Amino acid sequence: MNPQRWQQISRIFNHAISLDGAARSAYVKEKCGADDDLKAEVERLIESHQSAENRDFIGGLAVEDLAEQFTEGEEKHALHKGQQFGSYLILDHLGSGGMGDVYLANDSRLDRTVALKILAADVSADQRRMQRFRQEAKVASSLNQPNILTIYEFGEVDGLTYIAAEVVDGETLRDYLRNNRLKLSEILDISIQILAALDAAHEATIVHRDMKPENVMIRRRDRVVKVLDFGLAKFIKKKRPSPGNLSSDEEAITQFKTAPGLIMGTVNYMSPEQAQAKPIDARSDIWSTGVMLYEMVTGTKPFGGSTAAHTIIEILEKNPTPLTHAGGPELPAELQRIVGKSIAKDPNERYQTAKDMLIDLRNLKKRLELDVEIERSSASRHAATGSVQAETVEQSRATHRDTREISKRKLGLGLALLVAVVAVIFGVNVVRNMQSTPAIQPASNATLPVPPAVERTVTYWITVQKFRDDKPYQDPFYLKGEINFEANYRIRLNVRSDRPGYLYVLNEGPTDRTNELQYVTLFPSWTANSGSEVLPADRTVLIPEKSWFRFDDEQGVETVWLIFSEQLIPELDGIKAFASDRSKGLITDATLNHSVNGFLISHSADKVTVERGEKHTILKTTQNVLVYPIRLEHH
Amino acid sequence: MKKVPPRQEHEITQLLAEWREGNQTALDQLYPLVYDELHRLARRYMSRERKGHTLQTTALINEAYVRLVDQRRVQWANRSHFFAISAQIMRRILIDHARRYSYAKRGGGARQVSLDETATVVRGNLSEFLRLDEALKSLAELDPRRSQVVELKYFGGLNNDEIAGVLKISKNTVTRDWNMARAWLYRQLTGSAPN
Repeated sequence: MNPQRWQQISRIFNHAISLDGAARSAYVKEKCGADDDLKAEVERLIESHQSAENRDFIGGLAVEDLAEQFTEGEEKHALHKGQQFGSYLILDHLGSGGMGDVYLANDSRLDRTVALKILAADVSADQRRMQRFRQEAKVASSLNQPNILTIYEFGEVDGLTYIAAEVVDGETLRDYLRNNRLKLSEILDISIQILAALDAAHEATIVHRDMKPENVMIRRRDRVVKVLDFGLAKFIKKKRPSPGNLSSDEEAITQFKTAPGLIMGTVNYMSPEQAQAKPIDARSDIWSTGVMLYEMVTGTKPFGGSTAAHTIIEILEKNPTPLTHAGGPELPAELQRIVGKSIAKDPNERYQTAKDMLIDLRNLKKRLELDVEIERSSASRHAATGSVQAETVEQSRATHRDTREISKRKLGLGLALLVAVVAVIFGVNVVRNMQSTPAIQPASNATLPVPPAVERTVTYWITVQKFRDDKPYQDPFYLKGEINFEANYRIRLNVRSDRPGYLYVLNEGPTDRTNELQYVTLFPSWTANSGSEVLPADRTVLIPEKSWFRFDDEQGVETVWLIFSEQLIPELDGIKAFASDRSKGLITDATLNHSVNGFLISHSADKVTVERGEKHTILKTTQNVLVYPIRLEHH
Repeated sequence: MKKVPPRQEHEITQLLAEWREGNQTALDQLYPLVYDELHRLARRYMSRERKGHTLQTTALINEAYVRLVDQRRVQWANRSHFFAISAQIMRRILIDHARRYSYAKRGGGARQVSLDETATVVRGNLSEFLRLDEALKSLAELDPRRSQVVELKYFGGLNNDEIAGVLKISKNTVTRDWNMARAWLYRQLTGSAPN
């Protein structure tokens, strides 16, 4: 439309709308004359004017018209609370990360609460890579390692790719470090669990590639560690198109060079080979774990320049301040050795497997615990140990390979006390063992925790009894270990071992007044196995023997810990006192609960092979102690 | 929401001066400040609406302008520029947002209501909102002044007196421009066929 025409139309229009009915028609007709197009145009505009007026078209303010979306847009999520997304009902927005948003959602098919990660559109666009990522993540998840986040499902709804995973009520190690001052024992627990996750993944030839505190979660209730996003790192770095035919890590470094802000957070934990775009393997994850361990101990990152490039230079060239300087003189020299070995610049000089590092950390932990035990006992046992002979000490030094590594500060006092105390502790056990089950070998060799490489098998299955009006209803039936239970289901646990030993079955009870977790002993129990915790070989115990367990009203996942050992477990010795009708199994001793909790955490990373049959679940281990959490979902 | 401290107010005055001298980056620097105000406005609007209170949006937007800059301390010429720029930035912010938001909503249940079916057109309808912006661009090519009247009124929240002051035209002309522009935009959005 030319400007003259436009002005002509607007002049006629503006005057016309000030007139009414017949006068308006007459005016338009007169002004437009024989120009029918002009007339039609003016009439349409007048009509539009009236509609706009009636509907208050743009009569308010733009910001009002868009206020809802504009304020909602504070959180730029794709989904909102209460929205149905496939079979998932969105309950809440949990957070946003580099690759998408995470929601709390309920899977209506299983009535199960999940963490739903919606991958950003650009992330999920590449089908081929998506496929590979799925495979890796699935394999990692299927390892059934308690420290690897379980993935339930991958899927796509309305063009959005999602991952449904286990919900972890807790915080990332990054937040945990920010909010808590970690004790050395806790740092070791966390590192051990991280390495247990890596060990399992590495055995399945999966390299994480992006180990960092943001990808490690600490569960609130029991501080169990969960490593997230296996397989995703490789995928993310691969997704961006790049020139030529570069390997994934070359792409990563290219990306870093062009957009430092983009992966800034990741640089600090990158291994030298990763930073140099060389091929990487499992040993790169060991480096990253070493960096995290250093950070947990000292509160500072070993490599952290003012820019990403400076950080990379440090990674390649700098030897970080020794832990004993950065983290205080109280730190055991062994820890410095472990960290130093994990962050050796040359992968060949590093720990070659996660398992090696795991073993060293575990030994360190055991030794530190022993130190504490010795210190605690030294006062009361002093009289008894005064007569320890020098040759016994020498013998101990020769057989206990860790002894020489006990910190020098404690060596003088500690060494003299070690043998006597150990003898006292285990001496008691020997007597107990002899009394309760002659079938068990006397634990005289217990002073040397050398695990014989035998496989122990513990089998369990669950009997379910439906109840109606508090009366059994229909016949009991068997179910596999991890299923959903209805509210009216009551259960019985059946456990059998191929070897005689000590069995403990614990469950988390209500917290005490100071909000500390309290455990409940389900076994030993005053109603089963004559109150004894000792289980003969190949005999099935029913827990409980004559009644049923019922779930409390609170919905959720109940973790029942199954612990089996051929030797008495000192940390759990004391539980039996609460296996009485009076306390109903609730452990009210805070120190004991703490000790149980510490024990479970330190063993939660143990490797247990799980074979699920139709009815039975078979647990196998070559460790001294078998610790397995049975997860029962109920609602 | 951060309050705009006096230092920033001074900054805005400076930015306006720079903008007059043709410094486009001044406009970009103003963007986050206006964004904060606009966002605050939208939130207050939403909370009032949820509580069912009568809306005094004019008062709210005046407050937003006052918070951005103490207008008594700005020369009249600058003040006109300030309104013009603010309205322009507000439009940009809202359109940017609508574009991102409608992208995020894609496939996720975006409201697809045609103009004829709704009583209060444009409200909450992102695609209509974006189409309105397009139509306003076409209008600017045809008739820059009328387009600017819409921008100042609908996006900038100015009343006819203020618009007359900013554009240096009579109040009656503002009214006439508005009527014509609004009718034309409405027609653009409802399609060429009369409804």
